Amino acid sequence: MENEKRIEEIIYGYPAEKRFSLAIMQDIQREFNYIPRNAMETISEYLLIPLSKLYGMATFYKALSLNPKGKYIIKVCDGTACHIRSSMVIVSELEKILGIKVGEITPDGLFSIETVNCVGACALAPVMVINGEYHGKLTPQDIAGIINMYKEGEVNE
Amino acid sequence: MDNVKVIINGKECIAEKGELLMDIASRNGIYIPHLCHHESLRGQATCRICIVEVMENGKKKIVTSCIFPVVRDIVVETNTEDIINMRKTLFSLLMAEVPGNETIRSMAEEYGIRENLRFYKSRGNECILCGLCVKACEELGCNAIATVSRGTTKKVSTPYEEPSIECIGCGSCASVCPTGCIKIEEGYGKRKIWNREFEMIKCSVCGKYFITKEEYDYINEKCEVLEAPVCKSCKQNEVAKKVLESLMIEEK
Repeated sequence: MENEKRIEEIIYGYPAEKRFSLAIMQDIQREFNYIPRNAMETISEYLLIPLSKLYGMATFYKALSLNPKGKYIIKVCDGTACHIRSSMVIVSELEKILGIKVGEITPDGLFSIETVNCVGACALAPVMVINGEYHGKLTPQDIAGIINMYKEGEVNE
Repeated sequence: MDNVKVIINGKECIAEKGELLMDIASRNGIYIPHLCHHESLRGQATCRICIVEVMENGKKKIVTSCIFPVVRDIVVETNTEDIINMRKTLFSLLMAEVPGNETIRSMAEEYGIRENLRFYKSRGNECILCGLCVKACEELGCNAIATVSRGTTKKVSTPYEEPSIECIGCGSCASVCPTGCIKIEEGYGKRKIWNREFEMIKCSVCGKYFITKEEYDYINEKCEVLEAPVCKSCKQNEVAKKVLESLMIEEK
């Protein structure tokens, strides 16, 4: 499998020392947007770190994810400013349109939703960020249009 | 080895330099309450219940006795007003966390702490996240469990919350747990722990199921002795018989 080869490339690119465990996991996270289970198992064997310890680390850091993420990662801001401007309504609208919950991924692998604590754009509250692109001053009516934009972009590609 | 003089609650105790305060106290019959400390699994210091007051060079400080090595002559008080007040705070936090746990409840009640109904928490989870079980598993060399996640979702679990292949079903985690919250189901020659079911093997003398096959194999592998499985009480009987026999020979 292509994935497996790439995972091994990343892992074996590091010396077999325990202190590199986090760096390896970060690299894999960057490449795949999540850490696949076989990667965890390979790291465990290579660095001689118990899987339980790695699992503990991977679940501790918010920057690491054990579940696959979509091609488009929708980060809905739920910081104070966005929260009082009803960011949770935006979240539930997204959940309704995409048919998934926060932390899940659509079956076609295109979208995943997560909430974050402030993206530093409070003037635009409520905000969501899709792969680095900011969408501000949202209303629930905007959501379907934005999602469709990404879907169409996908078809045209 | 250098010796140091430690005065605990007015009692003079002689200790080796570097010995832990908790050990010195328990050796001298002085009880310091604790949860996350186990004599063979040192160095947790997560529960903070074992705090005591130490006077050193005329200065007062609060230390956790379970990880405090004594290196010079000190005076220790285990139950001052300050300490009791701090333990009260700790117990009210613990009571808010695991109100359903009997161990915590009875210890808290000694300090006059009852459940605070303002912070209602559902029963069921009785773990105080002291990490003693994780330490026990690690020391045994299995590493089947770890603390996962963080904050309010932190808990002790096997990787991916699946039955762990590393687990040998020895139940050490459950036996060191201060709140007794790790569940073991046993019956019909099977033991279930951490969602994994283990086949058990019988004692070769009395025929009672007493150990999982995985644990038996693990011990044999580590110690390189292959002997028929004998349970604890049968082993004791065996030793007792031998002692008795040797005494009879001496009498003759």
